[in-house]
Amino acid sequence: MNVIDLFDLVSYRVHPEAHIRVDESVCHGCLHRACTHSCPARCYELDKERGRVVFAYEACLECGTCLLVCDRGALDWNYPQGGYGVRFRTT
Amino acid sequence: MSLRPGSDGFDAVVVGAGPAGSSAAIGLARCGARVLLLERGEYPGAKNMFGGMMSWCPAAEELVPGFWEQAPWERAVTKRVLTVAGPRSSTSVVFEAGSGSDRPAAGAGSTSDRALTGFTLYRPLFDRWLAEQAVAAGATLLTGTLADRLVVRDGAVRGVRLAGTGDVIEAPLVVACDGALSLLAKDGGLHDGFTAEQVGLGVRALYALSEEEIDERFGLAGREGSTSEFLGCTGGVRGGGFIYTQRDTLSVGLVLHLASLKERGLAPYELLDGFTASPPVARLLRGARLVEYSAHLLAEAGPRMTPRLFAPGLLVAGDAAGFCYTNGLITEGMNLAITSGLIAARTAAQALAAGDVSQRRLQAYEQRLRRSFVLRDLATFRNAIHFLRHDRLFTEYPQVVGAMMEGLYRSDGSPKRRLAALGLEAVKGRLPLRRVVADVIEVGRSYL
Repeated sequence: MNVIDLFDLVSYRVHPEAHIRVDESVCHGCLHRACTHSCPARCYELDKERGRVVFAYEACLECGTCLLVCDRGALDWNYPQGGYGVRFRTT
Repeated sequence: MSLRPGSDGFDAVVVGAGPAGSSAAIGLARCGARVLLLERGEYPGAKNMFGGMMSWCPAAEELVPGFWEQAPWERAVTKRVLTVAGPRSSTSVVFEAGSGSDRPAAGAGSTSDRALTGFTLYRPLFDRWLAEQAVAAGATLLTGTLADRLVVRDGAVRGVRLAGTGDVIEAPLVVACDGALSLLAKDGGLHDGFTAEQVGLGVRALYALSEEEIDERFGLAGREGSTSEFLGCTGGVRGGGFIYTQRDTLSVGLVLHLASLKERGLAPYELLDGFTASPPVARLLRGARLVEYSAHLLAEAGPRMTPRLFAPGLLVAGDAAGFCYTNGLITEGMNLAITSGLIAARTAAQALAAGDVSQRRLQAYEQRLRRSFVLRDLATFRNAIHFLRHDRLFTEYPQVVGAMMEGLYRSDGSPKRRLAALGLEAVKGRLPLRRVVADVIEVGRSYL
């Protein structure tokens, strides 16, 4: 198995608006940045040059890991609107 | 129903068409209630990644007579394997329910003892079927619809608000079956939000492999299936690995205690990669084609995370109520979801018929759960669930088991030694002996 392959196999119907919002002012100063390694969908990446976490919602698996590993309350976490987001295969 | 239905004409709104929600909807509709079943996915099961086994439970047959003759299941599980994986060897315990050649086409409830048979399921299909049973019973199913808030008036839940449009659907009673994050119960003030200490993160890779190859590699015949659980394969993170056989696919993954994953700073997909490449797993996956990847949280803290289960006009069931656990040997959730959904439906129907959805009336729900195996099992394994918080169970102990078994089988010309000597040597340098003694006592208290 190649880790990169995993992410290409998931199907989504992406809503134009992000369902999770990250408050960077709260996020700033966090030392563990657990979201960048705990998120199973790699939605959070560390921008090393600017020293901040960059979030992209499109590949979200809607598990809630980021909500529970963030101890600063930086996230406004919602499920995507009905009918949007990840969809697991039926066959 | 003697309570006035909401303006939309429903007596009850059930949120989430998973096993708990669809069971609640079936139960309510059978009692004559007008039920609306809401599902945020495009279809029931679209958001479900479960690749596991549902244990047999009486509630399923009570909901749909001949449940397992009709439900789309993958394989009837007759074989359970527990493997302790070490760096150089692995050690397994295999349980097989009386099965085999006398039942070449393992049918529904395939062993003579149905209670020993679980079923592996493919949830996008199973959930869709169960929701269809709710519709057949008279419930109205609305998919692609997310209820994100409760509507509370005069101290009682009176319906739900829909995300996006902000439309309100009113009903005297809401049953929240919205899954492991339990956002509606949180909105209703029944808990403060679950924590990383209380949940596991499940990551799963789905592999396609022919039915014949699966039969051969796992030693199965007909529709028989197996579950395999692995300890010591999680890079030191508390948790375990699994392989569940479906008809022509395999669910391969890890469940990682979230607080431990966070603390170790490891990525779940990297650990999954390591697991699938490890010798005992890689040989079972040879030539299999990776087809999907998914992730989900699992409630893991047992009674230590159970929210309040009811409020005026509100009941909580399934994962949303924390009804899911592992004690290291067994993992259960679906049977708890279906049973709690049915109990919620019965309590709700009686409350609606009596025209009373007050807290006092709805506490019957919790009383019934306390009498059923749902809350009793969580209580029974309360300490076992807590015992799994020790890191050494997932690091040093698997190494001890490996070293002992290697010592037992090693034949290199030097004199053999008794088991106690092998055990002491395996422990030496890995764990202080008094620690092991203390753990044995704790195991005794937790499991015996």
